[in-house]
Amino acid sequence: MIQAAQLTDVCFSYGKQEILVNVNASFDDSKFTVIIGKNGSGKSTLLRVIAGLLIPGNGLIHFFGKNLRDLSLSERAKTFGYLGQKHKAVFPFRVWQVVLTGRAGYVNYLPGKNDMEIAHKSLERMKILHLKDRNYSELSGGEQQLVMIARVLAQEPKILLLDEPSTHLDFSNQIRLMELLKSLTHENLAIVAVMHDPNLAFWFGDAFWFMRNKTLEQPGSDLKPWSADYLRTIYEQEFNTIPFEGKAMITPLMKKGLTQ
Amino acid sequence: MVTDKRNLAGVVYFLPVPVIMLSLLTGPSDTASIQNIIHYFYHYLKPEVHNESSEILTIGSILWDVRLPRILLAFMVGGALSVSGSGLQAVFRNPLVSPYVLGLSSGAAFGAAFALALGILPVQVSAFLFGLLAVLISYSAALKHQNISIVSLILSGVIVSGIFTALLTLVQFLSDPFRLQSIVHWTMGNFHHAGWNMLSSAILPMVAGIFILMLYRWRLNVIALGDDEARSSGIHPVREKIIILAAATLASSAAVSVAGIIGLYGLIIPHMVRMVFGPDHRRGMMMNFLIGGTFLLIIDDISRTVAGFEIPIGVITMLIGAPFFLFLLKKSNIGWEQ
Repeated sequence: MIQAAQLTDVCFSYGKQEILVNVNASFDDSKFTVIIGKNGSGKSTLLRVIAGLLIPGNGLIHFFGKNLRDLSLSERAKTFGYLGQKHKAVFPFRVWQVVLTGRAGYVNYLPGKNDMEIAHKSLERMKILHLKDRNYSELSGGEQQLVMIARVLAQEPKILLLDEPSTHLDFSNQIRLMELLKSLTHENLAIVAVMHDPNLAFWFGDAFWFMRNKTLEQPGSDLKPWSADYLRTIYEQEFNTIPFEGKAMITPLMKKGLTQ
Repeated sequence: MVTDKRNLAGVVYFLPVPVIMLSLLTGPSDTASIQNIIHYFYHYLKPEVHNESSEILTIGSILWDVRLPRILLAFMVGGALSVSGSGLQAVFRNPLVSPYVLGLSSGAAFGAAFALALGILPVQVSAFLFGLLAVLISYSAALKHQNISIVSLILSGVIVSGIFTALLTLVQFLSDPFRLQSIVHWTMGNFHHAGWNMLSSAILPMVAGIFILMLYRWRLNVIALGDDEARSSGIHPVREKIIILAAATLASSAAVSVAGIIGLYGLIIPHMVRMVFGPDHRRGMMMNFLIGGTFLLIIDDISRTVAGFEIPIGVITMLIGAPFFLFLLKKSNIGWEQ
């Protein structure tokens, strides 16, 4: 299996505050990899470091064997697309104008016909072509998220780095988004997503990394990621699990007196 | 809808022609009445009835040495301020900024007056440097935790603008205590001293700045989306912003150095353009230049004909712009956060 991305001893700190310590991980090509962890464990910081938006204090990041440091910004844009947690629109751009800006890494001064076609295709891939002429800032949070993913797709990257792509979406839209993302991995796209909801992650993800003690880890061969024994170590809390589709669903331990 | 906009843009392309022609006929001079101007052109076209009377010569000099340079200057200044304003709004992701709001205009006016008083630095260079200095102070004063709120940028711009206006007044009083008029020239903006000299001194930086902003017109769309978004799609946001900021400062400080502070003009026109043509800078930049130039020319025509004396042009733009600005402040849901 080709490694879409590989992290070697990646460290990062804000001033004296260490956020990431010796992170070692690899993400497979054409797979949906999910990073799970508690709030404030450093997941978003890690994703920003991988995307080159923060410079690691130490360690190496490779994409398809190439060192991130040796890639120019436009080479990076063609290798991976990053989508942060929130995006606030200031100007009333149309949806297609927003998606077209994803082509910046390919364009000198003005985008051409080819760029327009690729933007169009990205909208189709996200199934939001009907929103094309709408005002981006007037869309719902879920629709905006789909537009921003279409924008990242217009970069024609090989990897998507998504920071909590399903937050702010209602349950059915979360599932719709996950199905869409999953289908993208069948088109030779690797996805690395930071996610909050472990169940959602287990339903759709292929590989799982957990953020704990400022680094990424995976359960040993004797434990499954969805086992209550393993998740206890991540969340420092007891869970119940229910077998589901060869994996398991996680539920809280329902204390007596809370229900009924 | 799309074709409507295209048609409208076509109209805007031709708008300057009749306005410039009408402006040539407009002015307080009795000698250059429309009747006499028609006579003048008649003589001009038919040299065989050669009648080089002094009146004809006067009209020629009014048209070509007084009115034409003033028309071109007003047009270029209006275009430069509008294009710069639009560029600055994209860079700061803030629809309420302009060269005036950021303190750039006051900084450039001080720089120009300072250079004229001391005679060490060339006027354009000094205007550019102090204009840039003013923006950088406004920016860094508003910057907090690598974040800049829309309102705090406006507030710091107000303070910086106040400081440079005070310094400007000081320089003017020290260098020429009896000429209050020259202070008015700088702080309220006018084209009273316009001429070919003035045009030639400012045309190059204005054209260069406008040209760069036009070249970057699509990249402004990318920058306007946000730093992370620009960077992860392949554009270096800091490098890009420095280029755009320098170009906007170049064009608008040159405009200020010849016309003084024309308040809020660089804010109103980009807004009008966005309302009519949408936020895409690809069409927007050209529209800003043409509408910005044409409107300032019309305002200048009004300022030199409506009263017995010339109303400083900045007075008119301020009186139109201020209610507009307040309206935008109320309407937009942008505030202290972000």
